[in-house]
Amino acid sequence: MITFAFSFVFPWLVALVMIQSIAVNVKKPPHGWRLTLLLGLISGILALLPVGGLPLARRLIGMNANFSFPLLAIAFNKAWEHATGSRVLDAKASTASWMFGCAAGLALYPMALGLGDFDPYTLGWGFSWLFPVLTMATIVLLLMKNRFALVLIACILGYDLNLLESTNLWDYLVDPFFVFFSLAALTNRLIRRLGKAHSDRKGMDGMGRERASTG
Amino acid sequence: MSKRAVLVAILLTLVLHAVPWWRWYSCGDREPPRFALRQPHSPSDRGLPQMTEEFITRDTGSRMVHVGSICEMTDSRLVACWYGGTREGAKDTAIYLALRDPGTLSSWSEPRVVVDRDSASRELRRYVKKVGNPLMFVDTRNRLWLIYVSIAVGGWSGSSLNVKVSDDGGKRWTPSTRLTLSPLFNVSELVRNNPVQMSDGSLAVPMYHEFLGKFPEILWIKFDGGDFRFRKTRMAGGRSFIQPSVVVRGPRGAAVFFRSCSHERAVGMATTADAGTTWSDPQHLELPNPDAALNALALSGGRILLAFNDSSRGRENLQLALSSDGGITWQDVARIEEGNGEEFSYPYMIRGSDRRIHLVYTWHRLRIKHVVFNEAWINVELRGALR
Repeated sequence: MITFAFSFVFPWLVALVMIQSIAVNVKKPPHGWRLTLLLGLISGILALLPVGGLPLARRLIGMNANFSFPLLAIAFNKAWEHATGSRVLDAKASTASWMFGCAAGLALYPMALGLGDFDPYTLGWGFSWLFPVLTMATIVLLLMKNRFALVLIACILGYDLNLLESTNLWDYLVDPFFVFFSLAALTNRLIRRLGKAHSDRKGMDGMGRERASTG
Repeated sequence: MSKRAVLVAILLTLVLHAVPWWRWYSCGDREPPRFALRQPHSPSDRGLPQMTEEFITRDTGSRMVHVGSICEMTDSRLVACWYGGTREGAKDTAIYLALRDPGTLSSWSEPRVVVDRDSASRELRRYVKKVGNPLMFVDTRNRLWLIYVSIAVGGWSGSSLNVKVSDDGGKRWTPSTRLTLSPLFNVSELVRNNPVQMSDGSLAVPMYHEFLGKFPEILWIKFDGGDFRFRKTRMAGGRSFIQPSVVVRGPRGAAVFFRSCSHERAVGMATTADAGTTWSDPQHLELPNPDAALNALALSGGRILLAFNDSSRGRENLQLALSSDGGITWQDVARIEEGNGEEFSYPYMIRGSDRRIHLVYTWHRLRIKHVVFNEAWINVELRGALR
């Protein structure tokens, strides 16, 4: 029952973020608790809206039943940002989440889909070295005071409570959307950094030429 | 975060991570189980040769049926299962079941629907476009299991596995439970061949993945206290072998035969010596395989019987072959079916409590055929083939 009820959370958050984004686009920033409550209510109705005998949220779950906790945290962060103007996941935590998404995705998907004889997905059932590795990663991030550690704590809490349909720890940590967004965010950051380095170098060269001509 | 908050969070992390460890430690299944061997077969079958043929389904002329499986309950009733509809992948496909009481005079009951897209959608509480590829079997507690695929988007590669169990011979079933077995949208996991009973009461169900890679796997599943506990392991990676058929040869030893989907159109084979934990690298045998399902069965004296399409091009025949050396070399036993441009596919065999062998297969995609024979018949056919 708890798994079924929890399956509505992500679709509800997505609906809320979408409505908030529409409000931002029509120049009505959705700040404030009352407005957020109202939009949350509308999103809830949308998620529960029956289409062809099934709530809209369950139609989304039919496509993918296991939206990972980091993706849930990103959606929650966006909704919180729209509502309050502040972020739960700061820049440091966002970077950690994108790096985690890329690393976990690259470690999991190619091999899980048939590359080689080893399937890392099997490590997510029962107990394996994946669990101590996650414990260590969480503790290191906590010592670095990185808020992404709280998301990792939420992952293991969700796993212990069996909040997702999956009984595999990997599904609490990553999903294809989260990995895609992580790869896109890091690639975008890399391109911007390379572009900035290139323009800085051009500027330096220009200054050097100017100095040479005045000398 | 203050130092105190960090300390509390670290403690919380350790406690939360101790839960899965404790669950794993306390469930006591850290030691891999062995294969549960069935009653030993006598070295030879002294009965008279027997071979009978019948159809389980009626000829409707237009409705497609496919992927049959058969099992025997403790009261000797046979249960057959398959899927059918107006065409493969049509929205009206449903999983059917028929029963046959023991005794030669009885016939198969009228097929009845176990699950269709509407009931699957209701039970799984999500959109289901179609259902298909069922596998039915009985466990040691006489519970009837049904594992079937449901598809929400796309074709067979978009399929996910679901399971139902019945305590009363298929009258009432538990609601379908979705098994999450793949990290990529949980798609492309399918079952085909006979499960193996394990010593701890769990079942090892041969399965396969066919999305980007095409490879064989084993689903380890147990139904206890209304909950399914499961995991899977891989038999081999790559893009060459699917639809494993496992033949147990000892408490820890087994051979597995694969449908080949590589350019090398030949049956694949691998072995295990640790009850399915690890498998040898698959090798191609000299038996042809037109990228079609096959099924293997253990006979007396360590012999293995294989039902397969004896062609590298199509499914126009159905052949039985026998191996006396663990699957390395094979002798033809009998051609069960043959016909130009026709289809005989997806064989599935079991050994009944009366030691007879039951073979079901798809006949022209229009009917499910049931052939019954004993080892004496195999021996006679083998002698005939050798002459």
